[in-house]
Amino acid sequence: MNENKKRKYAFFLGCVAPNRYPMIESSIRAVFDHLGAEILEMEGASCCPAPGVFRAFHIPTWLVIAARNITIAEELGVDIITGCNGCYGTLRDAWWELNHKPELKKMVNEHLAKVGRQYKGNIEPKHIVQALYQDMGMDYLRDFVKHRFKDLKVAVHYGCHIVKPSDKRPWGGEYECPTFLDELVEMTGAKSIDYKDKFMCCGAGGAVRTAVKEVAADFSREKLTNIRDAGADIIIDCCPFCHLQLDLGQMEANSVYGAMIGEPFKIPVIYITQLLGLSFGIDPNQLGLIKNHELAGVSPFIPIEPFMQKVKEELT
Amino acid sequence: MSDNVEKYIKRKVYKGTSSKIAQKFVDAGLEKIRACINCGTCSGSCPSGRRTAYRTRSVIRRALMGDESVLEDIDIWLCSTCYYCYERCPRNIPVTDMIIKLRNIAVEEGHILDSHFTLANDIFYQTGHGVPANGDANKKWRDLRESYGLPPLPPTVHTHPEALKECQELMKSIGFRKLMDNVEKIKAKERKEKEKAEKEEK
Amino acid sequence: MTESTKEIKVSRNTKPKIGVYVCHCGVNIAGVIDVVKLKDYALTLPDVVLAREYKFMCSDNGQKLIRDDIEAGLINRVVVAACSPRMHEPTFRLVCKEAGLNQFLFEQANIREHATWVNMYDSEGAYDIAKDHVRMAVAKARRLLPLEVQRVKVEPSTLIIGGGIAGMNAALDLADEGYKVYLVERTPTIGGHMAQLDKTFPTMDCSACILTPKMVDVGRKDKIEILTYSEVVDVSGYVGNFEVTIMKKPHYVDQEKCTACGACVENCPITVGNEFDLGMATRKAVYIPFPQAVPGQYTIDMNACVKCGICARPDVCEPGAINYDDKPEYMKVKVGTIIVATGWDLYDPTELKQYGYGRFPNVINSLQMERLLSSFGPVLGKPVRPSDLKAPHKIAFLQCVGSRNFREGGHTYCSRVCCMYATKQARQYKEKHPDAEVYIFYMDIRAFGKGYEEFYESASENYGINYIRGRIAEVYEGENHNIIIRSEDTLIQTPIELEVDMFVLSCGLEACADAGEVASLLSVQRSADGFFMEAHPKLRPVDTLTDGIFVAGVAQGPKDIPDTVAQAKGAASSAAALMSQGEVEIEPYYSVVLEHLCSGCRSCQSLCPFGAIDFDEVKNVAVVNPALCKGCGTCVSACPSGAMVQNHFAGFQLESIINVAVKQSSIENGGK
Repeated sequence: MNENKKRKYAFFLGCVAPNRYPMIESSIRAVFDHLGAEILEMEGASCCPAPGVFRAFHIPTWLVIAARNITIAEELGVDIITGCNGCYGTLRDAWWELNHKPELKKMVNEHLAKVGRQYKGNIEPKHIVQALYQDMGMDYLRDFVKHRFKDLKVAVHYGCHIVKPSDKRPWGGEYECPTFLDELVEMTGAKSIDYKDKFMCCGAGGAVRTAVKEVAADFSREKLTNIRDAGADIIIDCCPFCHLQLDLGQMEANSVYGAMIGEPFKIPVIYITQLLGLSFGIDPNQLGLIKNHELAGVSPFIPIEPFMQKVKEELT
Repeated sequence: MSDNVEKYIKRKVYKGTSSKIAQKFVDAGLEKIRACINCGTCSGSCPSGRRTAYRTRSVIRRALMGDESVLEDIDIWLCSTCYYCYERCPRNIPVTDMIIKLRNIAVEEGHILDSHFTLANDIFYQTGHGVPANGDANKKWRDLRESYGLPPLPPTVHTHPEALKECQELMKSIGFRKLMDNVEKIKAKERKEKEKAEKEEK
Repeated sequence: MTESTKEIKVSRNTKPKIGVYVCHCGVNIAGVIDVVKLKDYALTLPDVVLAREYKFMCSDNGQKLIRDDIEAGLINRVVVAACSPRMHEPTFRLVCKEAGLNQFLFEQANIREHATWVNMYDSEGAYDIAKDHVRMAVAKARRLLPLEVQRVKVEPSTLIIGGGIAGMNAALDLADEGYKVYLVERTPTIGGHMAQLDKTFPTMDCSACILTPKMVDVGRKDKIEILTYSEVVDVSGYVGNFEVTIMKKPHYVDQEKCTACGACVENCPITVGNEFDLGMATRKAVYIPFPQAVPGQYTIDMNACVKCGICARPDVCEPGAINYDDKPEYMKVKVGTIIVATGWDLYDPTELKQYGYGRFPNVINSLQMERLLSSFGPVLGKPVRPSDLKAPHKIAFLQCVGSRNFREGGHTYCSRVCCMYATKQARQYKEKHPDAEVYIFYMDIRAFGKGYEEFYESASENYGINYIRGRIAEVYEGENHNIIIRSEDTLIQTPIELEVDMFVLSCGLEACADAGEVASLLSVQRSADGFFMEAHPKLRPVDTLTDGIFVAGVAQGPKDIPDTVAQAKGAASSAAALMSQGEVEIEPYYSVVLEHLCSGCRSCQSLCPFGAIDFDEVKNVAVVNPALCKGCGTCVSACPSGAMVQNHFAGFQLESIINVAVKQSSIENGGK
């Protein structure tokens, strides 16, 4: 436990997780705390900025705002962790660009100087899955497993930006068939099942969802069809935007493409730290798995009670 | 008789003028785009392409050939940036980066969806978030946060007004504000011309 | 041109009379600098008695200028300011020699590659550099001394590494010319990859039918010593006199006694994958690679053998040829020339995960397809697909697998033969199954050779093979292990999702895995693509930069059989040309020991990379073997006593260059 005892990370929240799927944020906090890591707040962080939209509108703006966010963690002197593929994509790509292209770094620092900031490039933006799998390692994590899910069939969805562009990611260039997320899931005893086009994009990113929702919904329809055909009980993902697209998007697919899909989809969508947290024996309330409110029109849109029912036995 | 002219006569012939768009790529250090041999690996990999009219390869080709209609095409906004084309291109062209640059050029000339413009100009610039939680419309999301034991607003620009000011300063300094204002002008002009044309038709 | 009967006598005390010739080289030099001005500058240099400028010094007229001046007794040193000495140094040296001046009293100043070509738009700058080069060349010329070329005897024998179609053809030609040939082949048989092919494009000749007669010929010729299952382990020496150590790997079967009856194979209990059929068929631990192998004797693969003793039983192997205690044998040979004909490996597409090779059973590579089509292959020429051994109804080929790839670690080159071999294989399959649907996915179709375009046209018109222009993006498995292909038909701009029964990857050719080791062994270079480097890409395609070593076939770069045979014949011809003279000239740039200065410390001997320095225990001085010395200069710089002097690059000669190199203005009074 010792080397990991005081692992410190600056937690970059982003937008979708804190503002639409707060259970993802609370499950990340609960799990990292349980594993003995200290979370530092990135006070005053903004949108990363979202790569699909803002990078597409103006690359220099994207780069400068991303650099600003990184400087907040540089001031704390620790690596960043984020639970979102999109934020990871932005922070990581910006970090890579600025550390490899001195003329870009110079340009960005000229602007940052106007608000009293300087980008140094001395901390690394990491995904929470990267922190779990590489920094802490499977051997360390395995010791925390209290409950093993015997009969749970999981469709694992990696998303895109956690593995691509592969030259700027820490997975040794692997992007066609990564296995790290499957390994984390199977550590809990669940079975990660194979399904057609497992690594296909969810359709939310790249400004598609904000451009034409129905196109994004068709991506989801295809993925959900494949997941359902493979007989999955739940979907596990590691990105709040994918999570949104597969959850809220599941409802949209049901309504827009009802005729194509027949029976409406109702597959619970769970975030990776929610599953890990349950397996580690953390209180489900802390993981955002229990509904403590009467609000209408909020997440999760596809009920997750069936999942909680299914694993009730293993948890007692 | 003039209907048939409308229907059948299409004088679309490529005259081989040099591509202004291609030059912009070269100036931005993205000259690698010129190495494209149109093999189609990108379009073949594209999850969007097999459900929309978006063809990655064609969009790149049109940019290289100087077909400026590509900047007005909605197709370039249907790329979900999954990066498969980037990973598989045999000429090692960072295709996704090219699409993003093409979008930048389109926005410069005022070609941006209204929904995207609102997102950039109103939401992102005003709140610092792409998906905000402040304001009356978002009360239920703050309530949702509290139900999970979190503070109603996260410790971001939402609770640090000075941080939001910093972001806005930077956005002004880097030219984002100017870009948005320019787009607004172009869109206003287009609206006026459209209204005028509609009036004339009546 | 006849040689002058008397050579002008020049010694260290002879006053130098330098003639400087400035070449225009068309517009290459004259288009950038004022050559007349440069000629005039040369005239201001001490000891320069005449200077001329001319359009093309290397032409007959240009050469005549030099010859006339020498024969008229006007000059005893020649400086030509022109292109790189690598181009025309031999030309001008020959002119000197024929005119009666020792050829080593010539110096070339490179004012093209080093001045005008690299400063095409800076006339002033180029001129300054050109002046420097002329001044330095003149300074050296002033101190040049006559030298004699060495003549060394050439062994009339050749070592050919690689027993494929290139190696065999070169061997046959050389043997016919009367030279002894050592043909070393790593596998137990000659024949190479061509033996694995079924038919050859564009004639559709049966490969074995045109290959085996050659193999038999090679086996029959007295002058060719076939050393199969052998490897070259050491090479030393120099052109005309290479000393080669060959390791003959143990067959564990006495090659003299073995009658190739096959009884051992029948009785052997061990079965392993067969490399000749790329793992699609089996062989026993004791085996022969294929029925027509030359030599026809058997070999035991000791990695698979369990030494059960069955094959050694007298009732199994009657001639008693089995010998489990066999050991490698080393033989040393002396050869005059070496030809490298080591061929190629097929690119392994496992790393391209999107194509499923190694993950999906019905994805195979082109050589595997070739073996399936072959009449003596694992399915006797009735191809079936791996998952269910049924003949596929729909097949797709993908071109450029592992070639034309500019990604990190990829082979950027085109492998040249794949478009044709895929068309051939597609056509062969259609001949066997006329109703089958065959697709070839390509980026470009390269049908460059004689009869190739016609072959391609016929594939579409007569055989109905579907060519789809689109590089496949990814494949996945459908039901029954069918392969579903995702691509774009770029010509109609539509995404394709095609289900086929079998998917063939037209893999490219790459340099053999151990090409680097072979290159070090022979001290030859490799190009960036990994294949052995030719001396000049246009004009010397079968020479290497190491005198006496030639390269032929795909070892030099991907090519088809006609080009391979042409290169093999070219390499044989070059080797024969070198050996036919009986001796070869070596440049006299060797080091000389000034015995009175040598302290006997032996630093030079320990540092010499070519083993050219011996030690005379009696006189306690170092001794240089001029034939082995390559003039690298290591000993010269290492010698603490300054006792080593290198011919043509002596200290006093180099000093004179250095002294004038940095001066800006012309030198007065000889720089003294």
